[in-house]
Amino acid sequence: MTEGPKMVTVTINKSQYRAEEGETMLSVAMRNGIDIPHLCYEESLDPYGACRLCMVDHVTCGKRTMMTACTMRAKEGLEIMTDTPEIVKYRSTLFELYLSQAPKSDVIKKMAARYGVTKTRFLKKIVHDDPLGGKCILCGLCVRVCDEIMGGSAIGFINRGPSTVVNTPFFDENPACLGCGTCAKVCPTHAIEIEDQGDTRVMKSWSGTRIKLQECPDCGQYFVPKAMLEEIQSIPDPGIIDELKTLCPACRAKEIAKSVFKSTFQGSVYHG
Amino acid sequence: MTGFVGPIETPEDLSKVREIGLSKLLNRPRIAVGLSTCGIAVGGERLFARLKEIISSGGYNIALVRVGCIGFCKEEPIVNITIPGKPLVILHQVSENDAEAIVNAVLKGGVPDEKVLCKVSSWDHITRTIIYGTGFEQIPDYHDIPFFSRQTKVILRDAGFINPEDIDEYIAVGGYQAFVSAVSSRTPEEVIDIVKQSDLRGRGGAGFPAGLKWEITREAKGHLKYIVCNADEGDPGAYMNRNEMESDPHMLIEGLLIGAYAIGTSDALIYIRAEYPLAIERLRKAIDQAREYGLVGENILGTGFSCDIQLATGAGAFVCGESTALAASIEGKTGRPRPRPPRLTDKGIWGRPTDLNNVETFCNVPVILTRGAEWYRGIGAKGNTGTKVFSLVGKVENVGMVEVPLGTTLDTIVSEIGNGGAGGKSVKAVQTGGPSGGCIPARLFDTPVDFEHLNEAGSMMGSGGIVVMDEDTNMVDIARYFINFATSESCGKCVPCREGLKHTLLILNKVMAGKGTAADLEMLESLSDTIQATSLCGLGQTAPNPVLTTLKYFREEYEALISEGT
Repeated sequence: MTEGPKMVTVTINKSQYRAEEGETMLSVAMRNGIDIPHLCYEESLDPYGACRLCMVDHVTCGKRTMMTACTMRAKEGLEIMTDTPEIVKYRSTLFELYLSQAPKSDVIKKMAARYGVTKTRFLKKIVHDDPLGGKCILCGLCVRVCDEIMGGSAIGFINRGPSTVVNTPFFDENPACLGCGTCAKVCPTHAIEIEDQGDTRVMKSWSGTRIKLQECPDCGQYFVPKAMLEEIQSIPDPGIIDELKTLCPACRAKEIAKSVFKSTFQGSVYHG
Repeated sequence: MTGFVGPIETPEDLSKVREIGLSKLLNRPRIAVGLSTCGIAVGGERLFARLKEIISSGGYNIALVRVGCIGFCKEEPIVNITIPGKPLVILHQVSENDAEAIVNAVLKGGVPDEKVLCKVSSWDHITRTIIYGTGFEQIPDYHDIPFFSRQTKVILRDAGFINPEDIDEYIAVGGYQAFVSAVSSRTPEEVIDIVKQSDLRGRGGAGFPAGLKWEITREAKGHLKYIVCNADEGDPGAYMNRNEMESDPHMLIEGLLIGAYAIGTSDALIYIRAEYPLAIERLRKAIDQAREYGLVGENILGTGFSCDIQLATGAGAFVCGESTALAASIEGKTGRPRPRPPRLTDKGIWGRPTDLNNVETFCNVPVILTRGAEWYRGIGAKGNTGTKVFSLVGKVENVGMVEVPLGTTLDTIVSEIGNGGAGGKSVKAVQTGGPSGGCIPARLFDTPVDFEHLNEAGSMMGSGGIVVMDEDTNMVDIARYFINFATSESCGKCVPCREGLKHTLLILNKVMAGKGTAADLEMLESLSDTIQATSLCGLGQTAPNPVLTTLKYFREEYEALISEGT
């Protein structure tokens, strides 16, 4: 018999909530509709704590310490405050820093405005020909999914401090890139640009890395990077029967529907 | 180099080695050249080569050895001479041109008078006293030199006296005695207890009780653990750890071995920056010698306790002094910190419980075990026991490595040991604690140097750099210098540190250029406050200190720059 997760009671802004022990406080808050801004959190990855926006006041014995909600684990009696004057003050300055770092990001502008920050006192960072279009805030999500989830490690951080950027090694086309596009999917500021040009996917932000796409033998649509398809097919049992393996999802759905129809109706007509 | 054959298996064997070592120190005329990186930088190697040439071509019965650094940088190169039965004599500002005179004097049983600094009749190595002899009445005593007399040498007890590349000499002055008696007659718990009772606090800067950290690591779940020495000293102007390792590497190894025994691990590691090639070389030699003597390796002294020490070299990133970044660096990843908890003691290198202490913390341990916790607590102040090594640099007359009991005032260090501003200028302020420490003005020099008082003054202990600034120094420029350092050393992971420090630097540049406004000063303050409060790791959390303290104590200098500009 397996035991379920242990449930605990935590306090957020003076109200009590049930939570799984060890769950991050950010996820408890989100589930209960309590708004805590955040940019570098992704449920499927290890907490990273870099964007600093989700800082909340952790209350213990009347003392308050600031901590990031994405790295704080729920336990019985834990109490946090998400909107104290200090938190609001620091959060505003952080938003100003973000507005200066990613001046082209509408996501950041909207998010900051939601917390009352519409302009920044700091010099805006302008980089000509920025492959990330002045939208990257270095949250590291793209680097982390590429490494931890996809196992590609096609991109990484380059330089350090204020000169840090994300790109492929030596800003060269990188054959290690599968072209899966997960980086773009997780990017909170939509900074990563990918474009499909006929049979080729161009990772515009990643040094123009080009990846060949697979054509669906049925409908002729290009639907998946070849390298990625090969990767999937190399798995001993991908759970897809051979005839369907190379089809695009739409054609695959059609084929499955046809075969289901055959086995239920045609079977009874011809062999009944 | 070593004189004893086979592993040390009993305390009696250790005594035999001690005799061999003592004979090297005392039995024949000896010329010892201070050859740490600092001595080498001012021509020590050339001097050594010249001495070697003279001695070997004449076939003289004089031992010539390299020793570590006695800490008086201003007087380098320093040479000491021992003639059996006579006091050890320290010579200063020696050049290769003096080599002939030195050898001639030694051959006649004397010393070259014009180069003499002082003499030492006997030296307390804390774990053992060496009696050199009597004579040379005309030469001032070591304790007559103000630079030395105000110091208390516990950690630097051997520095400049013994050959760091010879384990026998370390054993001669009482080395490895604490380790041997700990593994053969004390339980790990007893060792931890003594360290706890000594109130030893971590010398890396945070001042966490060392014994408690050992206990936490010992009790952490997990069969495999690590003990790691942080030798990633990277503060501009700070070189305490380098000197400790170059002058007395076995002291660190002994402390590390005792720590490994106490927390219950056989895996010890020294994380050292690659910019310290001589320290690395001497540590490697020392580890090899200790291994040869059976003090490192399998089944040490037949007790069943095994411990191996490995060196990991870092690429010299300041942030790698931060514990979690250091762990990442050891694992082969980019040195970037991660949020804590989990602390290293729970989840350190490769996920295993890891104890991390600074070089100097480990160096304190052998003497604590030999002389007892009570003795150690007698040095320093309550809650701040023992001594601390500082590197006294900047615009100060006596630049050097200074060891004083914790609680000594800044005034004693700067005015009495340092002899005030260089060239007779008046001292304006000091910065303690490295690039992220604060600047303390001269009017607060009665501040005792301990963890709490420095924090109260807006600064910190850090690893122990003291940078002196004189009347000619522009404090805004100083703040800019340190912010520039912190900005370029920021790993770039979190926003307040990476972006906040960049903007702090931009504003300081603007102020320095005479284009600042009153609003800029306000912005500096609020930005510094945010960086301190919201940064991920210690680098960012402390980096604004130079700005905040100069704004607090030297605001008029900022204002002058602003009014000039308008």
